[in-house]
Amino acid sequence: MTTHEQLEQAVIAGKSKDAKALTQQALDEGSRPADIVDHVLVPAMTVVGDRFKCGEVFVPEMLVAARAMKESMNLLEPRLAAAGVTPKYTAVIGTVQGDLHDIGKNLVAIMWKGAGFRVVDLGTNVPPAKFVAAVQQHQPQVVGVSALLTTTMPAMAKTVTALRAAGLPVKVLIGGAPVTQHYADEIKADGYAPDAASAVDVALRVIAA
Amino acid sequence: MQSHLLLDLAKAGHRMPIGTHLVLAGQADHEGILLDGKRLGKVTIAAARRFRTPLAVPLMDLTLEKAALLRAGGVPEQEIDSFHFTHTPTVPAPIPLTPRMEATCAAIAEVAREGDLVPIGMCIGPFSLMTKLVADPITPVFLAGTGVTAGEDQELALVESALAAAEAVIGRFVDAQIAAGAKAMIVCEPAANRVYFSPRQLEESYATFERLVIEPMRRLKGRLDAGKAALIFHDCGELTDGMVDRFARLGAAMLSFGNSRNLWEDAARVPDDIVIYGNLPTKRFYSAELSVAQVEELAQDLVRKMHATGHPFILGSECDVLSVPGAEQEIWGKVDAFMRCGCGGMSARRVT
Repeated sequence: MTTHEQLEQAVIAGKSKDAKALTQQALDEGSRPADIVDHVLVPAMTVVGDRFKCGEVFVPEMLVAARAMKESMNLLEPRLAAAGVTPKYTAVIGTVQGDLHDIGKNLVAIMWKGAGFRVVDLGTNVPPAKFVAAVQQHQPQVVGVSALLTTTMPAMAKTVTALRAAGLPVKVLIGGAPVTQHYADEIKADGYAPDAASAVDVALRVIAA
Repeated sequence: MQSHLLLDLAKAGHRMPIGTHLVLAGQADHEGILLDGKRLGKVTIAAARRFRTPLAVPLMDLTLEKAALLRAGGVPEQEIDSFHFTHTPTVPAPIPLTPRMEATCAAIAEVAREGDLVPIGMCIGPFSLMTKLVADPITPVFLAGTGVTAGEDQELALVESALAAAEAVIGRFVDAQIAAGAKAMIVCEPAANRVYFSPRQLEESYATFERLVIEPMRRLKGRLDAGKAALIFHDCGELTDGMVDRFARLGAAMLSFGNSRNLWEDAARVPDDIVIYGNLPTKRFYSAELSVAQVEELAQDLVRKMHATGHPFILGSECDVLSVPGAEQEIWGKVDAFMRCGCGGMSARRVT
């Protein structure tokens, strides 16, 4: 197995220490950082995402895989930045005001990072104004808005309204346990992701639309 | 609580939502009521009357214990919601009750004074509270399942110390509610689910689940037994069958599961002297996508299937029914619909 193949397997299996060591080994062998991202890490997370989608692995396995990828990215990011390599897409994500739940939001962030997006995570309990400010600052193609509680869903509508009122050319994608496509249509969001595994496809679709 | 009350209610075809929040939302000065035990008790009583049940169920607010623990540890008020421990928490003894907890206890006492209602307490489960105390509980719990120990992993050590702190503050609150007159305790353990525990890993072993979820629950059950309060165990998370099997052995008087479970199938996993409660999809009641007619149909279907099992069953909500601003009428309409459900009496296998 090549170093790249070993690294891919380490990420899929969530072996952080191995991922770090193999990334260093790949760099030492002359691999370009962008190639490691594009040809090893993104495919590895795609495998994890696909397995998650079909119920072969679950949230914990995804998180440990993401942790392994992060170990690798910690070594790669300074080199990518130095070489002027930037991700194709940027996403801003957060849980709406009044809602402190973050698992769903974190999973979507992981999937987006795994697909090569630059992700700006605003955390939980994010007021609409903070979403607007983050979009103005980072100029993402997509914003992910999450809510777990039925009681905090109205804050999603306020966030969408605030982003529209600011006239920002960004696609808004919503998700969370109580959220439905019907609700997304009702509040005029651009997209709805029923689960983290589909968040990449939905984001790419709304960006392309 | 009289041991047969829940079984008798089930036998009589009882139905009720966990719906005190709906009633509270209809009152002026919500925030003031939350801090006023007498008025909060009146709301709980009003909810029981509204839903025609002898069970006086309090608000399901699972933030109280974290707030108490962090306040006791000197965390500034404005940081409590988002605070996570990064080092082993120090827990003062005794942990002071917060004003919200004191109001909850006073509300239980108010219900007790009413005389004809069963005062019920409420708390978060130890594992679920732990998940609110650390930034990433899932990864260390998963690592524990691979055989990693707290000595080898700092995050796992933090999980274990946070779990111990969680047990301490929950125990304090439970004792106070029992002292105020609670005859049963709804213990909400929604994080003990397939998100926090990989089903793939559980296929190999439930040892970590037993250690981090079931053992603290057993200690809590012992505390409830000492206070002569019945356990009503609630978990609306997505569960494996193995999780249900273990919850069924906790010695609860009633088990309440979320809408992802087929209760008629779970009936075979639960001893006949434990009432099953639930599990209409009340989290979707806010949406016009789910019609009143569909809710009636779901209720009747569930009752029919549970009736066929012969297992003691109370028709209810999958979780607490929260009032959503702007959707109040939509939600009330559906709650009233399932309350109207022509359930009739149910025979239970071993209930006499």
